[in-house]
Amino acid sequence: MARTKGYPEPLEKKLRDTRLYEEDTNPQFTKTVEKISMTIPHMCYQCGTCTASCPSAPRSSYRIRKFVRRALLGLEEEALTDPDLWLCTTCYSCTDRCPRDIAPTDVIMAMRNLAAKRDIVPVNFLKTVQAIYTTGHGVPNNDVNRAARKKLGLNPEPPTTHGFPKYVKGIQYILDYFGLKQRADKIIKEREG
Amino acid sequence: MREYAFFLGCIAPNRYPGAEAASYKTAEKLGIKLLDLEGASCCPAPGAFGSIDLNIWYAMAARNLVLAEQMKKDIALICNGCYKSIWEVNHKLKKHKELREGVNEVLKGIDMEFKGTIDVWHLAELFYDPEIVGVDKIRDSVKVPLAGTRIAVHYGCHLMKPKKERHFGTTEHPTWIEEMVAALGAEPVEYRNKMLCCGAGGGVRGYDLVHSLDITNEKMINLKEAGVDALTEVCPFCQLQFDRGQIEIEEKFGVRYDLPVLHYCELLGLAQGMTPQELALDLHAISCEPFLKKVL
Repeated sequence: MARTKGYPEPLEKKLRDTRLYEEDTNPQFTKTVEKISMTIPHMCYQCGTCTASCPSAPRSSYRIRKFVRRALLGLEEEALTDPDLWLCTTCYSCTDRCPRDIAPTDVIMAMRNLAAKRDIVPVNFLKTVQAIYTTGHGVPNNDVNRAARKKLGLNPEPPTTHGFPKYVKGIQYILDYFGLKQRADKIIKEREG
Repeated sequence: MREYAFFLGCIAPNRYPGAEAASYKTAEKLGIKLLDLEGASCCPAPGAFGSIDLNIWYAMAARNLVLAEQMKKDIALICNGCYKSIWEVNHKLKKHKELREGVNEVLKGIDMEFKGTIDVWHLAELFYDPEIVGVDKIRDSVKVPLAGTRIAVHYGCHLMKPKKERHFGTTEHPTWIEEMVAALGAEPVEYRNKMLCCGAGGGVRGYDLVHSLDITNEKMINLKEAGVDALTEVCPFCQLQFDRGQIEIEEKFGVRYDLPVLHYCELLGLAQGMTPQELALDLHAISCEPFLKKVL
């Protein structure tokens, strides 16, 4: 009697679900990531030096090796929708230690860029954009600091866009050129009302 | 006297103005004059902006670079985050024609053009460079030696890494800032996993505060084990993460360290005879008093 090879049906189904199917992959994704990041994730042989060097790995499910694998396999959805994407502190330890001369940090940055294009981006990143649009600074001045600066013999406003607000226009031009302020406002409104 | 356009960034002028005040004074004593870079903005934050769109990050940083090009001065700065944006974008735009043309297409709208005529330096590397200042000159400038104190160094990430693109040599175990600490009369102290990140970068501090503080806490545990009187760094963002972070760590994890955190320029200022008032050390979240008692 002929026997079918394989596990009992429920287990077989479960395993099937975790396999890599060609239709889930997008080879273009690999190319786009490589173009933006100017590095070469397709050279990765999955040694794991990156994850072992990563300060975020021991305290979360973020695995940089996994993201590099996703870049290589073109697993666009899986990469861009994983919230762990935003746990990289960009310390570049993985980049300095990679034996294949890949910059995994820059792979993450490229994936974040692609996620942000689809409005998948945490609001704290966008709030920095709003602050810079208004004042030129991501961390603007305040009254306690102004008083302290005065006591130090410094001008209460530093000689940046704070002291010379006319320069803010140039910053607003650049951000508007890319439509970033409007997008930031829209996304923050959607999330926070 | 060498002259540089002083790129301030955000956190030094707007949160730790003592570090800014110390930079002008300490640099001047070492033959470096820091000039105002009028109209400079946020670098912009490499984590926040670079993550959203690298092209916007390039253009925004290029605007700051062009301001210095117009002054015909190299830029000096005191923050690793700013170094990442300003140094790296300068480097990339000089190297890649396509990027440069893209950025100039944007800057055209505000009558600016990136030409690539200047260089960017961290003040700490200018201090260390024997052709500009050097450790001996730092030692000669000391009026109040920090004798009897044990000081650990946090190098931060974005000054020296990625090492392939930078010029600082090893990023596994550097000791050049320790040399500059020893020049002040203090004892530089090694500790476990010295090159670990402060935890704040890449937008993580804003995205997941507890996660970022947990990294900081690991550093604090290692520093406590080594037994130090103060931590010094060359990045106001790391400074904020260690200084205010200790308050947040106490709130979230219930542990208290009370470790003073000083920018290297503040430390140098003290050693050159500046008073704690001239350095606005009272603005630090963690009191510097125990350290000052040992020094003054």
